[in-house]
Amino acid sequence: MAIQAVHVPESLDGVVACSARGGQVMGGGTVVMPLVNSGSAAVTELVSLRRAGLGGVEVSDGVATIGAAATLTAVGEHPGLAFLRPALRTIASPTIRNQATVGGNLFVAQPYGDLAVCLLALDATCEIAGPAGRRDAPVADVLAAGIATGEVVVAVRVTLPEPGAWHYHKAMRRRLNSAAIVTVASVTSAGVCRIALGGLAPRPVRAVSAERLLSGRPLTPESLAEASEAARADIDPFDDAYASAWYRARVLPVHLRRALLP
Amino acid sequence: MPSQIVSLVVNGERREFIAAPGATLLACLRESLGLIAAKRGCAQGACGTCTVLVDGRPEAACLVAVETVAGGSVRTLEGVTAGGELDEVQSAFIDCFATQCGFCTSGMIMVAEALLDQNPDPSEDDVIEAISGNVCRCTGYRPIVIAIMEAARRRREQAVLR
Repeated sequence: MAIQAVHVPESLDGVVACSARGGQVMGGGTVVMPLVNSGSAAVTELVSLRRAGLGGVEVSDGVATIGAAATLTAVGEHPGLAFLRPALRTIASPTIRNQATVGGNLFVAQPYGDLAVCLLALDATCEIAGPAGRRDAPVADVLAAGIATGEVVVAVRVTLPEPGAWHYHKAMRRRLNSAAIVTVASVTSAGVCRIALGGLAPRPVRAVSAERLLSGRPLTPESLAEASEAARADIDPFDDAYASAWYRARVLPVHLRRALLP
Repeated sequence: MPSQIVSLVVNGERREFIAAPGATLLACLRESLGLIAAKRGCAQGACGTCTVLVDGRPEAACLVAVETVAGGSVRTLEGVTAGGELDEVQSAFIDCFATQCGFCTSGMIMVAEALLDQNPDPSEDDVIEAISGNVCRCTGYRPIVIAIMEAARRRREQAVLR
Protein backbone atom coordinates (compact mmCIF):
# COMPACT_ATOMS: atom_id res chain seq x y z
CA MET A 1 0.00 0.00 0.00
CA ALA A 2 1.17 3.53 -0.64
CA ILE A 3 1.92 5.64 2.42
CA GLN A 4 -0.61 8.41 2.97
CA ALA A 5 0.91 10.04 6.04
CA VAL A 6 4.05 9.98 8.16
CA HIS A 7 3.40 11.31 11.65
CA VAL A 8 6.36 12.57 13.66
CA PRO A 9 4.80 13.34 17.06
CA GLU A 10 6.84 15.31 19.56
CA SER A 11 5.33 13.66 22.64
CA LEU A 12 4.45 10.20 23.85
CA ASP A 13 0.77 11.16 23.96
CA GLY A 14 1.00 12.06 20.30
CA VAL A 15 2.56 8.69 19.49
CA VAL A 16 -0.16 6.80 21.37
CA ALA A 17 -2.91 8.82 19.66
CA CYS A 18 -1.49 8.17 16.18
CA SER A 19 -0.85 4.52 16.96
CA ALA A 20 -4.38 4.05 18.31
CA ARG A 21 -5.71 5.38 14.99
CA GLY A 22 -3.93 2.55 13.22
CA GLY A 23 -0.54 4.01 12.35
CA GLN A 24 2.41 1.64 12.18
CA VAL A 25 4.93 2.64 14.86
CA MET A 26 8.41 2.98 13.41
CA GLY A 27 11.69 3.33 15.31
CA GLY A 28 14.63 3.75 12.95
CA GLY A 29 12.84 2.45 9.87
CA THR A 30 15.31 -0.37 9.19
CA VAL A 31 12.49 -2.92 9.05
CA VAL A 32 9.47 -0.81 8.10
CA MET A 33 11.03 1.27 5.31
CA PRO A 34 12.15 -1.67 3.13
CA LEU A 35 8.47 -2.68 3.02
CA VAL A 36 7.47 0.89 2.19
CA ASN A 37 10.10 1.05 -0.56
CA SER A 38 8.91 -2.16 -2.17
CA GLY A 39 5.26 -1.11 -1.93
CA SER A 40 4.46 -4.02 0.38
CA ALA A 41 3.73 -2.12 3.60
CA ALA A 42 0.50 -3.36 5.16
CA VAL A 43 -0.43 0.11 6.44
CA THR A 44 -0.95 3.57 5.00
CA GLU A 45 0.22 5.62 7.99
CA LEU A 46 3.55 5.58 9.81
CA VAL A 47 4.26 6.95 13.29
CA SER A 48 7.91 7.79 13.82
CA LEU A 49 9.40 7.73 17.33
CA ARG A 50 12.31 9.90 16.21
CA ARG A 51 11.07 13.16 17.81
CA ALA A 52 9.01 11.78 20.68
CA GLY A 53 11.70 12.12 23.34
CA LEU A 54 12.08 8.36 23.78
CA GLY A 55 15.76 8.14 22.87
CA GLY A 56 17.32 8.47 26.31
CA VAL A 57 19.63 5.95 27.98
CA GLU A 58 20.04 6.17 31.76
CA VAL A 59 21.89 3.92 34.16
CA SER A 60 21.67 4.36 37.91
CA ASP A 61 21.80 2.05 40.93
CA GLY A 62 22.45 -0.98 38.75
CA VAL A 63 19.36 -0.46 36.59
CA ALA A 64 19.41 0.76 32.99
CA THR A 65 16.37 2.47 31.50
CA ILE A 66 16.67 2.55 27.73
CA GLY A 67 14.19 4.57 25.68
CA ALA A 68 12.46 2.63 22.91
CA ALA A 69 13.83 5.03 20.31
CA ALA A 70 17.43 4.82 21.56
CA THR A 71 19.59 3.66 18.68
CA LEU A 72 21.87 0.65 19.04
CA THR A 73 24.75 3.13 18.68
CA ALA A 74 23.46 5.16 21.65
CA VAL A 75 23.19 2.02 23.78
CA GLY A 76 26.75 1.02 22.92
CA GLU A 77 28.10 4.48 23.66
CA HIS A 78 26.73 4.55 27.21
CA PRO A 79 29.55 3.76 29.64
CA GLY A 80 27.14 1.95 31.96
CA LEU A 81 26.21 -0.53 29.23
CA ALA A 82 29.70 -1.46 28.11
CA PHE A 83 28.95 -5.15 28.72
CA LEU A 84 26.57 -5.03 25.73
CA ARG A 85 29.14 -3.61 23.30
CA PRO A 86 30.46 -6.93 21.97
CA ALA A 87 26.88 -8.04 21.33
CA LEU A 88 25.94 -4.78 19.62
CA ARG A 89 28.96 -5.03 17.32
CA THR A 90 27.61 -8.33 15.99
CA ILE A 91 24.41 -6.58 14.86
CA ALA A 92 24.30 -5.18 11.32
CA SER A 93 26.76 -2.39 10.40
CA PRO A 94 27.65 0.84 12.24
CA THR A 95 25.48 2.72 9.72
CA ILE A 96 22.41 0.61 10.44
CA ARG A 97 23.16 0.74 14.18
CA ASN A 98 22.83 4.53 13.90
CA GLN A 99 19.21 3.95 12.84
CA ALA A 100 17.98 0.67 14.39
CA THR A 101 16.35 1.12 17.78
CA VAL A 102 15.95 -0.90 20.96
CA GLY A 103 12.16 -0.85 20.62
CA GLY A 104 12.29 -1.97 17.02
CA ASN A 105 14.45 -4.95 17.95
CA LEU A 106 11.54 -6.33 19.99
CA PHE A 107 9.29 -6.61 16.93
CA VAL A 108 11.67 -8.09 14.38
CA ALA A 109 11.41 -11.68 13.23
CA GLN A 110 14.46 -13.87 13.77
CA PRO A 111 17.21 -14.26 12.60
CA TYR A 112 17.38 -10.47 13.22
CA GLY A 113 17.08 -8.69 16.55
CA ASP A 114 20.00 -10.02 18.57
CA LEU A 115 19.50 -7.26 21.13
CA ALA A 116 16.07 -8.71 21.88
CA VAL A 117 17.81 -12.01 22.65
CA CYS A 118 20.06 -10.13 25.08
CA LEU A 119 17.07 -8.41 26.70
CA LEU A 120 15.34 -11.78 27.11
CA ALA A 121 18.39 -13.22 28.87
CA LEU A 122 18.50 -10.11 31.06
CA ASP A 123 14.81 -10.61 31.94
CA ALA A 124 14.12 -7.00 30.99
CA THR A 125 10.87 -5.19 31.70
CA CYS A 126 9.04 -3.26 28.98
CA GLU A 127 7.32 -0.02 29.92
CA ILE A 128 4.26 0.21 27.69
CA ALA A 129 1.90 3.12 27.04
CA GLY A 130 -1.52 2.79 25.45
CA PRO A 131 -4.94 4.38 25.24
CA ALA A 132 -5.77 2.77 28.62
CA GLY A 133 -2.67 4.13 30.36
CA ARG A 134 0.70 2.75 31.33
CA ARG A 135 1.70 -0.81 32.21
CA ASP A 136 4.83 -2.87 32.64
CA ALA A 137 5.31 -6.29 31.04
CA PRO A 138 8.17 -8.80 31.02
CA VAL A 139 10.07 -8.65 27.74
CA ALA A 140 9.38 -12.39 27.38
CA ASP A 141 5.64 -11.63 27.10
CA VAL A 142 6.17 -8.85 24.56
CA LEU A 143 8.43 -11.08 22.47
CA ALA A 144 6.02 -14.01 22.60
CA ALA A 145 2.68 -12.21 22.26
CA GLY A 146 3.38 -8.66 21.11
CA ILE A 147 1.38 -5.73 22.45
CA ALA A 148 -2.19 -4.58 21.91
CA THR A 149 -3.21 -2.36 19.01
CA GLY A 150 -2.57 1.24 19.94
CA GLU A 151 0.05 0.34 22.52
CA VAL A 152 3.66 1.47 22.25
CA VAL A 153 6.77 0.25 24.07
CA VAL A 154 8.17 3.38 25.71
CA ALA A 155 11.29 2.03 27.36
CA VAL A 156 13.05 -1.15 28.43
CA ARG A 157 14.33 -1.55 31.99
CA VAL A 158 17.25 -3.85 32.67
CA THR A 159 18.95 -4.89 35.90
CA LEU A 160 22.64 -4.96 35.09
CA PRO A 161 24.22 -8.41 35.47
CA GLU A 162 26.88 -9.02 38.09
CA PRO A 163 30.45 -8.88 36.83
CA GLY A 164 31.30 -12.15 35.09
CA ALA A 165 27.69 -13.29 34.86
CA TRP A 166 27.06 -12.06 31.29
CA HIS A 167 27.71 -14.34 28.32
CA TYR A 168 27.08 -13.68 24.64
CA HIS A 169 28.05 -15.58 21.53
CA LYS A 170 26.75 -15.35 17.98
CA ALA A 171 27.53 -17.72 15.15
CA MET A 172 27.30 -16.02 11.77
CA ARG A 173 28.55 -16.45 8.23
CA ARG A 174 30.81 -13.41 8.33
CA ARG A 175 32.68 -11.71 11.15
CA LEU A 176 30.59 -8.54 10.77
CA ASN A 177 27.13 -7.56 9.56
CA SER A 178 25.48 -10.95 9.21
CA ALA A 179 22.28 -12.36 10.66
CA ALA A 180 22.23 -15.06 13.33
CA ILE A 181 22.76 -18.72 12.65
CA VAL A 182 22.72 -19.22 16.41
CA THR A 183 22.78 -16.45 19.03
CA VAL A 184 23.22 -17.26 22.71
CA ALA A 185 22.86 -14.69 25.49
CA SER A 186 22.96 -15.67 29.12
CA VAL A 187 23.06 -14.40 32.67
CA THR A 188 24.57 -17.13 34.77
CA SER A 189 25.72 -16.59 38.34
CA ALA A 190 25.08 -18.12 41.74
CA GLY A 191 21.33 -18.75 41.94
CA VAL A 192 20.57 -17.33 38.47
CA CYS A 193 20.60 -19.17 35.16
CA ARG A 194 18.87 -17.58 32.20
CA ILE A 195 19.75 -18.59 28.65
CA ALA A 196 18.13 -16.95 25.62
CA LEU A 197 18.51 -18.17 22.06
CA GLY A 198 18.26 -16.39 18.72
CA GLY A 199 18.15 -17.82 15.22
CA LEU A 200 16.48 -20.95 16.51
CA ALA A 201 12.77 -20.05 16.45
CA PRO A 202 10.63 -17.35 14.84
CA ARG A 203 11.07 -15.28 18.02
CA PRO A 204 13.82 -15.29 20.67
CA VAL A 205 13.27 -18.15 23.13
CA ARG A 206 14.53 -19.17 26.56
CA ALA A 207 16.35 -22.49 26.72
CA VAL A 208 14.32 -23.59 29.71
CA SER A 209 15.37 -27.25 29.54
CA ALA A 210 19.02 -26.28 29.61
CA GLU A 211 18.42 -23.77 32.41
CA ARG A 212 16.76 -26.49 34.51
CA LEU A 213 19.72 -28.84 34.09
CA LEU A 214 22.27 -26.13 34.88
CA SER A 215 20.64 -24.44 37.85
CA GLY A 216 22.61 -25.11 41.00
CA ARG A 217 25.35 -26.93 39.09
CA PRO A 218 28.77 -25.59 38.20
CA LEU A 219 29.43 -24.83 34.51
CA THR A 220 31.63 -27.71 33.46
CA PRO A 221 32.12 -29.32 30.06
CA GLU A 222 30.02 -32.25 31.33
CA SER A 223 27.07 -30.24 32.68
CA LEU A 224 27.09 -28.06 29.58
CA ALA A 225 27.19 -31.02 27.22
CA GLU A 226 24.08 -32.38 28.91
CA ALA A 227 22.30 -29.01 28.99
CA SER A 228 23.21 -28.19 25.39
CA GLU A 229 21.66 -31.40 24.11
CA ALA A 230 18.57 -30.75 26.24
CA ALA A 231 18.17 -27.26 24.74
CA ARG A 232 17.13 -28.86 21.46
CA ALA A 233 13.73 -29.39 23.09
CA ASP A 234 13.27 -25.62 23.41
CA ILE A 235 13.75 -24.60 19.79
CA ASP A 236 11.73 -24.44 16.60
CA PRO A 237 14.40 -23.73 13.98
CA PHE A 238 13.79 -22.60 10.40
CA ASP A 239 15.51 -22.69 7.02
CA ASP A 240 16.71 -19.44 5.51
CA ALA A 241 19.51 -18.09 3.35
CA TYR A 242 21.94 -18.22 6.27
CA ALA A 243 21.47 -21.80 7.43
CA SER A 244 19.09 -24.74 7.40
CA ALA A 245 16.93 -25.68 10.37
CA TRP A 246 18.87 -28.93 10.54
CA TYR A 247 22.18 -27.11 10.73
CA ARG A 248 20.97 -24.70 13.38
CA ALA A 249 19.78 -27.53 15.63
CA ARG A 250 22.95 -29.48 14.94
CA VAL A 251 25.33 -26.71 16.01
CA LEU A 252 23.30 -25.34 18.91
CA PRO A 253 25.13 -27.42 21.54
CA VAL A 254 28.51 -26.26 20.24
CA HIS A 255 27.59 -22.59 20.42
CA LEU A 256 25.86 -22.88 23.78
CA ARG A 257 29.05 -24.42 25.13
CA ARG A 258 31.20 -21.70 23.55
CA ALA A 259 28.97 -18.99 25.01
CA LEU A 260 29.16 -20.27 28.56
CA LEU A 261 32.68 -21.73 28.63
CA PRO A 262 34.67 -19.35 26.44
CA MET B 1 -2.14 13.92 4.52
CA PRO B 2 -1.01 15.97 1.50
CA SER B 3 2.57 16.52 0.42
CA GLN B 4 4.38 18.92 2.67
CA ILE B 5 7.22 21.39 2.56
CA VAL B 6 10.30 19.96 4.22
CA SER B 7 13.27 22.04 5.24
CA LEU B 8 16.75 20.56 5.68
CA VAL B 9 20.24 21.94 6.04
CA VAL B 10 22.04 20.12 3.22
CA ASN B 11 25.79 20.54 2.98
CA GLY B 12 25.54 23.64 5.13
CA GLU B 13 22.83 25.32 3.10
CA ARG B 14 19.14 25.53 4.03
CA ARG B 15 17.02 23.84 1.37
CA GLU B 16 13.26 23.53 1.10
CA PHE B 17 11.30 21.16 -1.10
CA ILE B 18 7.96 19.47 -1.40
CA ALA B 19 7.84 15.83 -0.28
CA ALA B 20 5.06 13.29 -0.76
CA PRO B 21 4.15 11.23 2.34
CA GLY B 22 6.72 8.50 2.93
CA ALA B 23 9.25 9.89 0.47
CA THR B 24 12.72 8.79 1.47
CA LEU B 25 15.55 11.18 2.20
CA LEU B 26 17.34 9.52 -0.70
CA ALA B 27 14.54 10.25 -3.18
CA CYS B 28 14.36 13.87 -2.01
CA LEU B 29 18.11 14.41 -2.32
CA ARG B 30 18.20 12.92 -5.79
CA GLU B 31 14.90 14.03 -7.29
CA SER B 32 14.06 17.28 -5.51
CA LEU B 33 17.52 18.68 -4.85
CA GLY B 34 19.45 17.16 -7.76
CA LEU B 35 22.12 15.71 -5.47
CA ILE B 36 22.74 12.40 -7.20
CA ALA B 37 25.95 11.21 -5.53
CA ALA B 38 24.00 9.00 -3.12
CA LYS B 39 22.73 6.04 -5.15
CA ARG B 40 19.65 3.88 -4.93
CA GLY B 41 20.94 0.32 -4.73
CA CYS B 42 18.86 -2.21 -2.81
CA ALA B 43 16.35 0.20 -1.18
CA GLN B 44 16.50 -2.10 1.87
CA GLY B 45 19.44 -0.71 3.81
CA ALA B 46 21.63 -3.65 2.88
CA CYS B 47 24.04 -2.22 0.29
CA GLY B 48 25.15 1.16 1.66
CA THR B 49 25.24 3.03 -1.68
CA CYS B 50 22.78 5.65 -0.35
CA THR B 51 24.77 6.43 2.81
CA VAL B 52 24.78 10.09 3.83
CA LEU B 53 25.52 11.77 7.14
CA VAL B 54 22.46 12.80 9.14
CA ASP B 55 23.44 15.11 12.00
CA GLY B 56 27.01 13.89 11.52
CA ARG B 57 26.37 10.15 11.54
CA PRO B 58 26.12 7.77 8.58
CA GLU B 59 22.61 6.60 7.79
CA ALA B 60 21.08 4.69 4.91
CA ALA B 61 19.08 7.48 3.25
CA CYS B 62 16.76 4.93 1.65
CA LEU B 63 15.47 3.98 5.13
CA VAL B 64 14.78 7.54 6.28
CA ALA B 65 11.26 8.88 5.76
CA VAL B 66 12.20 12.49 5.07
CA GLU B 67 9.57 13.97 7.42
CA THR B 68 11.34 12.30 10.34
CA VAL B 69 14.54 14.34 9.82
CA ALA B 70 12.90 17.65 8.86
CA GLY B 71 14.97 20.53 10.20
CA GLY B 72 18.02 18.30 10.54
CA SER B 73 21.40 18.51 8.92
CA VAL B 74 22.48 16.27 6.05
CA ARG B 75 25.88 15.93 4.43
CA THR B 76 26.33 14.25 1.07
CA LEU B 77 29.34 13.61 -1.12
CA GLU B 78 28.62 16.89 -2.91
CA GLY B 79 29.36 18.64 0.40
CA VAL B 80 32.71 16.88 0.75
CA THR B 81 34.01 18.51 -2.42
CA ALA B 82 33.37 22.03 -1.15
CA GLY B 83 35.24 24.61 -3.20
CA GLY B 84 35.88 22.17 -6.03
CA GLU B 85 38.88 20.56 -4.33
CA LEU B 86 38.93 16.84 -3.62
CA ASP B 87 39.51 16.13 0.05
CA GLU B 88 41.97 13.59 1.50
CA VAL B 89 39.54 10.69 1.31
CA GLN B 90 38.55 11.37 -2.29
CA SER B 91 42.12 11.83 -3.49
CA ALA B 92 43.26 8.70 -1.61
CA PHE B 93 40.48 6.72 -3.34
CA ILE B 94 41.89 7.81 -6.70
CA ASP B 95 45.53 7.26 -5.78
CA CYS B 96 44.89 3.82 -4.26
CA PHE B 97 42.63 2.60 -7.10
CA ALA B 98 39.77 2.21 -4.62
CA THR B 99 37.04 2.93 -7.13
CA GLN B 100 36.16 0.98 -10.24
CA CYS B 101 32.56 1.20 -11.42
CA GLY B 102 31.95 3.91 -8.81
CA PHE B 103 28.49 2.88 -7.69
CA CYS B 104 29.54 2.19 -4.09
CA THR B 105 32.09 5.00 -3.93
CA SER B 106 29.95 7.83 -2.58
CA GLY B 107 28.65 5.65 0.25
CA MET B 108 32.14 4.34 1.02
CA ILE B 109 33.50 7.89 1.17
CA MET B 110 30.72 9.09 3.47
CA VAL B 111 31.31 6.32 6.03
CA ALA B 112 35.04 7.03 5.77
CA GLU B 113 34.41 10.75 6.43
CA ALA B 114 32.34 9.89 9.51
CA LEU B 115 34.96 7.44 10.75
CA LEU B 116 37.84 9.90 10.36
CA ASP B 117 35.84 12.72 11.96
CA GLN B 118 35.40 10.50 15.01
CA ASN B 119 38.71 8.64 14.96
CA PRO B 120 41.63 10.28 13.14
CA ASP B 121 43.90 7.26 13.66
CA PRO B 122 41.78 4.17 12.98
CA SER B 123 43.13 0.64 12.90
CA GLU B 124 42.50 -1.48 9.84
CA ASP B 125 39.87 -3.36 11.85
CA ASP B 126 38.12 -0.04 12.60
CA VAL B 127 38.03 0.71 8.87
CA ILE B 128 36.71 -2.74 8.00
CA GLU B 129 33.96 -2.38 10.59
CA ALA B 130 33.06 1.12 9.37
CA ILE B 131 32.55 -0.07 5.78
CA SER B 132 30.88 -3.34 6.79
CA GLY B 133 27.50 -2.01 5.67
CA ASN B 134 28.76 -1.02 2.22
CA VAL B 135 28.87 -3.54 -0.59
CA CYS B 136 31.46 -3.28 -3.37
CA ARG B 137 31.32 -5.84 -6.17
CA CYS B 138 34.43 -4.59 -8.03
CA THR B 139 37.45 -4.04 -5.83
CA GLY B 140 37.39 -6.88 -3.33
CA TYR B 141 37.51 -4.16 -0.63
CA ARG B 142 41.27 -4.28 -0.10
CA PRO B 143 42.04 -1.10 -2.08
CA ILE B 144 39.21 0.70 -0.26
CA VAL B 145 40.62 -0.21 3.16
CA ILE B 146 44.09 0.89 2.03
CA ALA B 147 42.68 4.17 0.68
CA ILE B 148 40.90 5.02 3.92
CA MET B 149 44.03 4.24 5.96
CA GLU B 150 46.00 6.46 3.55
CA ALA B 151 43.41 9.24 3.83
CA ALA B 152 43.69 9.07 7.61
CA ARG B 153 47.47 9.35 7.35
CA ARG B 154 47.23 12.35 4.99
CA ARG B 155 44.69 14.06 7.20
CA ARG B 156 46.86 13.60 10.28
CA GLU B 157 49.80 15.06 8.37
CA GLN B 158 47.69 18.05 7.34
CA ALA B 159 46.67 18.54 10.95
CA VAL B 160 50.33 18.65 12.01
CA LEU B 161 51.15 21.18 9.29
CA ARG B 162 48.25 23.38 10.35
